[in-house]
Amino acid sequence: MYRKKGIIYGLGITLLVIVLFIFLPNIYNNTSFLFNLMLYMALAEGLNIIYGFTGYLPFGYVGFFGAGAYSAALAILFLHFPPLIAVLVGGIGAFLIGIIFIPLLKLSGAYFAIANLAASQALYYIVANPNLEKITQGPYGISLANIYNPQVSYYVMLSILAFSMVTVIFIRFSDYGLALLSIKEDRVSASLAGINVPRERSIAWGLSSFIAGLSGGVYAWYVAVFYPTTVFSLEISVFVIVFVLFGGIGTLVGPLIGSLVLYSFYNFIGISTPQYFQLSYGLLIIIFALFIPNGILSIFEKRGIHVP
Amino acid sequence: MRKFSALIVFLFLFVVGFSGIAMSKEAPKYIKVGTLYASSGPFAKPSTAEFKGLNFWVHYVNSKGGVYVKAFHKRIPVKLVAYDDQSSTATATTLYNQLITQDHVNILVADFGSVLTSVAVPLAKVHKILLFDVTGTGSKFFTPDNPYIVLCSLPTSGRWPYTLADFIISEKINRIAIVYSSNDFDQSQAVTLHNKLKKAGVDIVYYHAVPSNTSNYSIILHNIKAKNPNAVIEFGYPNNDIAFLQNLESSGLKFNMVFTVFPGQLFKLLKANVGVKALSYGYTYPTPPLLRYNKVNLGMGIDKFEKEFEKYSGKTPNFLNIAGYNVGLIIQKTLETSKKFNQLAFRKAIAGFSGKAFTLDGLFKVNKEGAQIGEMLPVAQFVPRGQGLKMNIVYPPSMKTAKAVYPAP
Repeated sequence: MYRKKGIIYGLGITLLVIVLFIFLPNIYNNTSFLFNLMLYMALAEGLNIIYGFTGYLPFGYVGFFGAGAYSAALAILFLHFPPLIAVLVGGIGAFLIGIIFIPLLKLSGAYFAIANLAASQALYYIVANPNLEKITQGPYGISLANIYNPQVSYYVMLSILAFSMVTVIFIRFSDYGLALLSIKEDRVSASLAGINVPRERSIAWGLSSFIAGLSGGVYAWYVAVFYPTTVFSLEISVFVIVFVLFGGIGTLVGPLIGSLVLYSFYNFIGISTPQYFQLSYGLLIIIFALFIPNGILSIFEKRGIHVP
Repeated sequence: MRKFSALIVFLFLFVVGFSGIAMSKEAPKYIKVGTLYASSGPFAKPSTAEFKGLNFWVHYVNSKGGVYVKAFHKRIPVKLVAYDDQSSTATATTLYNQLITQDHVNILVADFGSVLTSVAVPLAKVHKILLFDVTGTGSKFFTPDNPYIVLCSLPTSGRWPYTLADFIISEKINRIAIVYSSNDFDQSQAVTLHNKLKKAGVDIVYYHAVPSNTSNYSIILHNIKAKNPNAVIEFGYPNNDIAFLQNLESSGLKFNMVFTVFPGQLFKLLKANVGVKALSYGYTYPTPPLLRYNKVNLGMGIDKFEKEFEKYSGKTPNFLNIAGYNVGLIIQKTLETSKKFNQLAFRKAIAGFSGKAFTLDGLFKVNKEGAQIGEMLPVAQFVPRGQGLKMNIVYPPSMKTAKAVYPAP
């Protein structure tokens, strides 16, 4: 009963988000802000799958995003794929990278976080290597100006956000999600209880990397001109981690709220008082960390309100 | 009586209607110039320097009552709308869009360099607003199907080494080593130089890229020395040039000719970081303020600019301050000459004065794609004079102030 209710609420929220982002450009036409907001929401949900449900914190999550952006761009430049298919190739590219990085899951805690960070940096240096100029165009950037289409890529981003939300709903309210949560609590006990730990966490890892890759692919399409530093920027990882932590991990709504509140504040302060930007945003984060250390949703949980 | 009433009503409607049309053609209260700057991150230093130059231009034209706008036959004050992108391209995308869609700026000016300009190029194109590109010299930005970009302050980086190549060929220097940072800006220079020298039969004995964040060139310098070149050309960003010259000085290695990019642009910074000895007999591209353009037909000459800028900011201007001011001058000339107040008319006006406007930054000339081709970068050499350095222009012959000291003692 709880599961059924949760799924219905979750799908309702997903529908609400879709409707909102369809109509928001009519009210506020800075679509780059709305696009980036959707992007961070999707990435936050993707990170939530691996971090929120299994406890693995991938500091180098941006590596999948960058891999997705480059896979999509190369599919367009070399294979002349239409952008929609190229975005899918972006997701598949990141998924394959995720498979290569599966051995990292043998590490845990800070060791995993650091190894993952190093892996994403390794990816960056491979892509930005001048000797690979003929393939990746090295550090000199990629131009997809001839397929630039901010309108269509906006709605593709919305579809990816919806996909990431539905994936999280499925995980949160399924036996598979329970298995992942048990891995998060105690891997050994979960294994003794009959859960195939390596398989379950690898599936979560793959899903997480796929969502990041799809997001990277559509981002490449949306910005059209980008450099390795743009799509492998550690700032993206840091933002997404902070958004997920601030909203509340292991839920559908937490990453959405975290992204919405913090990214909106980030832009509001940046636009209204750019001269005090770092001071204001820093203070805000400190206040949130001091008074709501477990994320916004913990306020509801304390009052016995279960949030999907 | 009825006819009279009808006439009055008709006249009233006509006047109201006409005033409505007139209102829509009314001059704006301000000319909104929108731009971004980076107060933090890797581009903070050059970006804020450029921004200060643009700010100075706004301050200066407003002190004269604003900028003359031909389309409205009057002076209109300039209002600068600026946001901090913190060197982040994602943030820059949102903020450029904010300037276009929310602030409805009349003039859009890009942030420093190719990376932060890159995200503005497609946005400007899709929103049909002309992008005044200050120093984004990436060749990918300039395409025949995009009339909405104009590079104002530097030639596209691929053109920078034209004079340097001619100098090397004319001096009959053979065996050249080229090391460059792996970024759009430096790679395009390296490719141009490599191709021109090869074509002239000059032997390139070393040709390698290094990551843009390279901070130690010791091993690279010894590898270069092993090839026994007569000239070492290093293309990098300021941090690369500083590391390269510091390592060269500490290694004790000597080359007949050493060329770096930024001593000519950011002389004070380089001198403070590497010292006079490391720069002695070194070659560079000199830019204003080292190049002194006083015979100008647009804006202030370099002497006056230095005085006014020091009065305004309390600091001696560097090249990036000049680049920021220079983009203001191009905007000013655009508004002064554009018959209509719309973006394509601005682009047309620019084509009209391209090749004719000479500023403290040199000749402003753009090609059909909007890329800067007017400014020429000569080759200069620093020679010791007392405790300091004197800069001599050694090529081209038309600008030459002294003969190059080659080989370096």
